[in-house]
Amino acid sequence: MAFNYDQYLRVDKMPTLWCWGCGDGVILKSVIRAIDKMGWDMDKVCVVSGIGCSGRFSSYINCNTVHTTHGRTIAYATGIKLTRPDAHVIVVAGDGDGLAIGGNHTIHGCRRNIDLNFILINNFIYGLTNSQISPTTPQGMWCVSAQNGNIDPTFDACKLAIGAGASFVARETMLDPKKLEKVLVKGFSHKGFSFFDIMSNCHINLGRKNKMASAMENLEWIDSITTPLKKWEALSPEEQINKFPTGVLREVEQAEYCDMYEMVIEAAQGKRAKITQDDFAKKI
Amino acid sequence: MAREVISTGNELSALGAFDAGCMFFGGYPITPSSEVMHEMSDLLPTVGGKFIQMEDEIAGISVALGASMAGTKSMTATSGPGISLKAEQIGLAFIAEVPLVIVNVMRGGPSTGLPTRVSQADIGQAQYPTHGDYASITLCAGSLEECYTQTVRGFNLAERYMTPVFVLLDETVGHMHGKAVLPDLEEVKASIVTRKRFDGKPEDYRPYDVPMNEAAVLNPMFEGYRFHFTGLHHGPTGFPTEDAAQCQFNIERLVGKINTVAAQNDGLDDEADYEEFMMEDAEVCMIAYGSISRGAKEAVVKLRNDGIKAGLFRPIVLWPSPEKKLKEIGDKYKKIFVTELNMGQYLKEIERVTGRRDFGTLHKANGRPIAPLEMVAKVKEMF
Amino acid sequence: MFKTTNPGNVPVWVNTDNCKACDICVSVCPSGVLGMRYEPTSTLGAMISINHPESCIGCNECELTCPDFAIYVADKADYKFAKLTDEAKARQAAIIANKYMSLDQAGVK
Repeated sequence: MAFNYDQYLRVDKMPTLWCWGCGDGVILKSVIRAIDKMGWDMDKVCVVSGIGCSGRFSSYINCNTVHTTHGRTIAYATGIKLTRPDAHVIVVAGDGDGLAIGGNHTIHGCRRNIDLNFILINNFIYGLTNSQISPTTPQGMWCVSAQNGNIDPTFDACKLAIGAGASFVARETMLDPKKLEKVLVKGFSHKGFSFFDIMSNCHINLGRKNKMASAMENLEWIDSITTPLKKWEALSPEEQINKFPTGVLREVEQAEYCDMYEMVIEAAQGKRAKITQDDFAKKI
Repeated sequence: MAREVISTGNELSALGAFDAGCMFFGGYPITPSSEVMHEMSDLLPTVGGKFIQMEDEIAGISVALGASMAGTKSMTATSGPGISLKAEQIGLAFIAEVPLVIVNVMRGGPSTGLPTRVSQADIGQAQYPTHGDYASITLCAGSLEECYTQTVRGFNLAERYMTPVFVLLDETVGHMHGKAVLPDLEEVKASIVTRKRFDGKPEDYRPYDVPMNEAAVLNPMFEGYRFHFTGLHHGPTGFPTEDAAQCQFNIERLVGKINTVAAQNDGLDDEADYEEFMMEDAEVCMIAYGSISRGAKEAVVKLRNDGIKAGLFRPIVLWPSPEKKLKEIGDKYKKIFVTELNMGQYLKEIERVTGRRDFGTLHKANGRPIAPLEMVAKVKEMF
Repeated sequence: MFKTTNPGNVPVWVNTDNCKACDICVSVCPSGVLGMRYEPTSTLGAMISINHPESCIGCNECELTCPDFAIYVADKADYKFAKLTDEAKARQAAIIANKYMSLDQAGVK
């Protein structure tokens, strides 16, 4: 008996609409195993996705699911979580969805430290719309919207999340699903905004145009640009700029938004004094 | 017991939402609607409701829609530029049938326009706020009392028809400060409509599997009834489909559940869709709504003092327009005078319904109200 | 829907309805158990094939990395798996060199 994904999937929606070898499927499986480890009641789980290949993620998991508009996942999920703080909310977005059109919501979701589990499936490209540059497409790669090569500088999604105040930030690749599952469980258990930058392949729309036309070639490239945090720290600054550290990059305890909102309710109901600066360690 | 209060239109709209059972507000500051938000941030937590000021207009409506999907009565408030930004999410609310009240306190446009000045130029935007086919419900308040009652009504219609509902205030009504007599709170509570729910077995639950002209039955999340929300065309359980017959049915149902139902039942509910003022013996019928209707009432009295029998028709439900009544007016009154704070957005609808083009008109888009004497002078030109 | 139950005392089995022939499982196998075969009725012209079940060490890598819920590995409790041998390792290297095709198939796609 192999691991039974059936109970977590909408089996009538299988096979998935994703291309052969797409990392989205591996991440979907890892998320399901992580949910299984957490022992969550699927009636209390909500998966919110946006637009793009990752947008289909929500329709495959058998729980309360929302397929929103492009980039707005975190805003919708914030409404759901704030209404039902007892629910487990997983947000799935791609690099275009979460960092370009929805970048603002990503920043402010991190800042509020609301207890969402934000899975950024980072495949370095707009896949569904057929290969346009995304905020993570490396400079010098060729895409249909950069016919002479991409000059747009990229940014590091995890650094953005850390800068914006997410209390749990991790990076993994879909190359090692066991490690991915472990990190997901860690983040799911964490109270506060959990940000996962999960590097995945798009050999169809990134690979075929950049000399890695098969899933394996694309994954080898991802392997070559990532290294575990400990090893990364030992690298020289020149080497560091061309490698992404993987693993848990930040894990701190920090007041969670829904908890803080309880203070507002108590203050409004006269159960405590109005909130002042004295309620917070950080004053500025 | 009726309640006498001294307040502003914006604050009364917030109070109406609160009394209607709204438990969630998401929004972003914008003149001249911000006071709705201020008031909600004060009111909601007193009953455990949630208020959040988001990072932008788009997030403001998205968060409110998320809350409504989870099962809460929810609202957002903004002004024209905000609606422009929220457009895409309003479309999702239409197709996924997520109830939401959107208060729009109208200011001059287009673009940043005249942020602190009055306008009624978002009437057309309220009819078609986003791309695609759908039918919109739009209520327009003309007094302090109505800022309250029409917001309550907005929630009832949103929950009954499972759709976003616009409550339009204009800057003048929104910022008007004075005495208002609100209906008895118990009466208001007794009138509250809450969305239908399915109580059968979860495996039999098909939220969008409803007959033509009926609204979807969306249960709150996390109660065992799992389904899928999407902005894509969807089948009975909410999952995406491109089936031609299903897509055609979806759109016909979205339009029909509002327009056809309103036409068949002569309105969407039992409340007044319009107000008639001194219409019985009138020889000239003035048509105005929102803050401008207040000046028009004064103009009616002045005209009558000058020997001209004038009357006023004031639509409250702008969309779907009270077609039957407008047609009647078109047939009955020889002289009709339309005045609006835009370049004729509702005039087009009146022309469409009545089939007439011979109206006296007074339209302004300069951010100033129209004085009763200006209307009187214009009406007199018709004689 | 998924063939999660062992069809009959085998270490690894597949659901060819779900397989999209992406090669990932073949590439992660340490012991040359898997390989692709030409299959004209499949979308990509190839299909997964289990050629050397006797070499399967039960590492589960193919199941974990399959994006399409198409390949399954028996539980360690239910099946006695082989140990990794040099012969199996050499075969795996040959399969990778043969572009993930089974060794009796020409390595072009």
